[in-house]
Amino acid sequence: MTKKPFKTFSTGTLVAVGLSINSLYSNVIAEENPFDKVEQQPSSPAKKHKQPMEMSCGSNMRMDMKGMVMHENKTELPKDCAEVSEDITIKVQAGIEFAKQYPGTVFGFNEHQWQVKPCSRITVEFENKDDIRHQWMIHGLPKYLYPKGMFHIEVNGVEKKTGTFIVPSSNYTYLVHCDISQHMEKGMKAQLKVGNGRGDLPSIPGISDPTFKGSL
Amino acid sequence: MRHCGIIFLLPYLLLTYNNSFAYQQIAKTEESFLGLVEPFCPESAMPEWRKAYQIENVDIAPSPICNPDNPFNIAAFVNGTNNVSMATMMSTQLSPDTLIKSNDIDGDGDPDEIHIRLEVIELNGFSPDLKDPITTFNIAPGIQPGFWAFAPKSRGMSNESFASTKANPLLRLPSPSIRVEQGDKIIVTLENSHYFPHSIHFHGVDHPFQKKNGEGNDGVPQTSNKLTMPGKVVSYELTPRQTGTMVYHCHVQAHTHILMGLIGMFIVEENRPNNWVQTFNIGAGFVRHSSEAVKEKYSQEYDLQYQDIDRELHNIIQKGNDSRLLAKAFNRDYNITERTPDYFILNGRSFPYTLRESLIVIKPEEKIKLRVFNAGDQQLALHTHGFKPTATHFDGVKLKPEAQIQRDVFTLGPAQRADLELYAHDDGLNNMGAGIWTYHDHNELGVTTDGIYPGGHISSVVFESFLGPEGMPKLQGVDVSPFFTKEFYQKKYPIWSLSDENQLYGNIAEKSSDKVAEDDSQPAFDNKQIIILVLQILLLLITIYFLRKHTTK
Repeated sequence: MTKKPFKTFSTGTLVAVGLSINSLYSNVIAEENPFDKVEQQPSSPAKKHKQPMEMSCGSNMRMDMKGMVMHENKTELPKDCAEVSEDITIKVQAGIEFAKQYPGTVFGFNEHQWQVKPCSRITVEFENKDDIRHQWMIHGLPKYLYPKGMFHIEVNGVEKKTGTFIVPSSNYTYLVHCDISQHMEKGMKAQLKVGNGRGDLPSIPGISDPTFKGSL
Repeated sequence: MRHCGIIFLLPYLLLTYNNSFAYQQIAKTEESFLGLVEPFCPESAMPEWRKAYQIENVDIAPSPICNPDNPFNIAAFVNGTNNVSMATMMSTQLSPDTLIKSNDIDGDGDPDEIHIRLEVIELNGFSPDLKDPITTFNIAPGIQPGFWAFAPKSRGMSNESFASTKANPLLRLPSPSIRVEQGDKIIVTLENSHYFPHSIHFHGVDHPFQKKNGEGNDGVPQTSNKLTMPGKVVSYELTPRQTGTMVYHCHVQAHTHILMGLIGMFIVEENRPNNWVQTFNIGAGFVRHSSEAVKEKYSQEYDLQYQDIDRELHNIIQKGNDSRLLAKAFNRDYNITERTPDYFILNGRSFPYTLRESLIVIKPEEKIKLRVFNAGDQQLALHTHGFKPTATHFDGVKLKPEAQIQRDVFTLGPAQRADLELYAHDDGLNNMGAGIWTYHDHNELGVTTDGIYPGGHISSVVFESFLGPEGMPKLQGVDVSPFFTKEFYQKKYPIWSLSDENQLYGNIAEKSSDKVAEDDSQPAFDNKQIIILVLQILLLLITIYFLRKHTTK
């Protein structure tokens, strides 16, 4: 009896920059130990004494109870940039209150598009207006500067976090989103255009239509 | 009038002639194919996690199954995310405030104030950018019903990576089992990260109706609590005096939210000194760090959560993205009175994936505690081959010794729990000796996947001597490869194929005849038959003509 191998199919048409969060997290170093404070509370019973394990160093990450900033880069220039063209600060707010403007969405940013000059140094002041977590996560940056091509700010509840990164020189449209389950799909999707950008990404509130509308 | 008879007879003659040579070749049997067979143990499973660990002074039992729990998660779940090192945290995807354990109030060596944070996540939901669902979780090969689940608060991405749409391992079904110690001051904070309102009701767990400040604490929108809307947070407070296997679930639009997956076990462990309980058990199943009280009587402990799934409900979240249409589809269009379940999951998976995660591995004379929970809408009739377990608790309440019945089928209605004692004592009653003893739902619906057998609520108790490499039981029945293909559950694969050397039960090759006729582009028609048909029609016309002639005469 013959068995014909049946061809399988690729999991959708996800055109994406490779990014593995697992390897990413096992490869980071903490700049500060957020747990020191908690540890000093009289609460901790006698049992535990810390056994810090070896950590592999590589990229950078700041984390505390308010959230985290990953792969911040204030100084390293992309290969194609001779210098920082300009310093720009963008103030981003995130929360459900920004969804009202786009009926059918539930989450959102105050703005869903930013445009900067090539080789800009961008400081993102990310303010979360909700009580839950939100993220400002950008993909597609040069991997030799940003592990897995990603720069990421995550804010835990009504708080602010600020982080800085430098973009390369070429015209490109970068995806910005919140990768908490269904947050991007329900409105937390935005784009950062460097130079003239390279078109619009799909399904960005107020900017572009979804690729798939569904059948509800 | 004699010739008249001949006229009537002629068509019959032709007809019989037609039948006699109408023999067509019997359709051939299609060559059977086997779809791409997934390995018994997927690449994502971490073999090194199977051994015993000691992390941050937490003893973590070995777990020889294919897909063991992350031991670093266990360490954080036992000590609290506030009492482990940054290195351990980096081996998890937990948030720093997921689980805060503090204050040994009674001075018995364990923390008595526990703050638990849960989020609500969606699995296999709609993406406006992709053809397929996003944040995926397969219950069986190729099967991805949409789900909602509670999950310990995490950090970072929900998807495994930007290049993969798989859910990160903390996000899965069932909602995790939660363990606390009797008398602990517990705060459970629900961070509603989902796009619908949700709540938590502590079913059977000792909790006051109101918090000290008068706010509601029962999680019921109609009687105690305002809705916790998306982006909002609510805390519940409880200090359970009674122990047992209880439940937590969402109580908003409970008829759909519970079935979508917002339900899990909430276990109150007996108070003991130095009792550091494993607060979360991700994906239920084997408990790698049992409580002190359980360890007194049992060598191992397993959480078994059963659910059933109506595709019509679970597919709603894959059909669209607009929150208004989704709300209507769930609460106005879906009619639960027409519900029929299609899928059956044990700890989030259907057979054969249950073999990767829900094997119970046992040695002779071992006594194991099973906490069985029917979180579905159908009756569960749990049958264990090779054992007659003893029920020690129903719905978390300890049975008197004379009521601790021993049987081989335990029936649980929706939301009911049974604590069972599985005793590998080979006396023909408790146990019938070593082997691979399947345990399954004897409600026959429950052992299928979309009507295909075997699927659903099937797993096995395996004696260590029958456990092979990679946690695979040394099966000696039929080749299980077909069950690890998508095609099997897409109903493409003929029954018994791998055992059917003489092709007694193969698919009939309808398509192969099409191939022969492909050049004419016409379905195969016998030319002879067409000629005969034409002749018959002619004859009929002649007969009519003659009859008319005669009658007019």
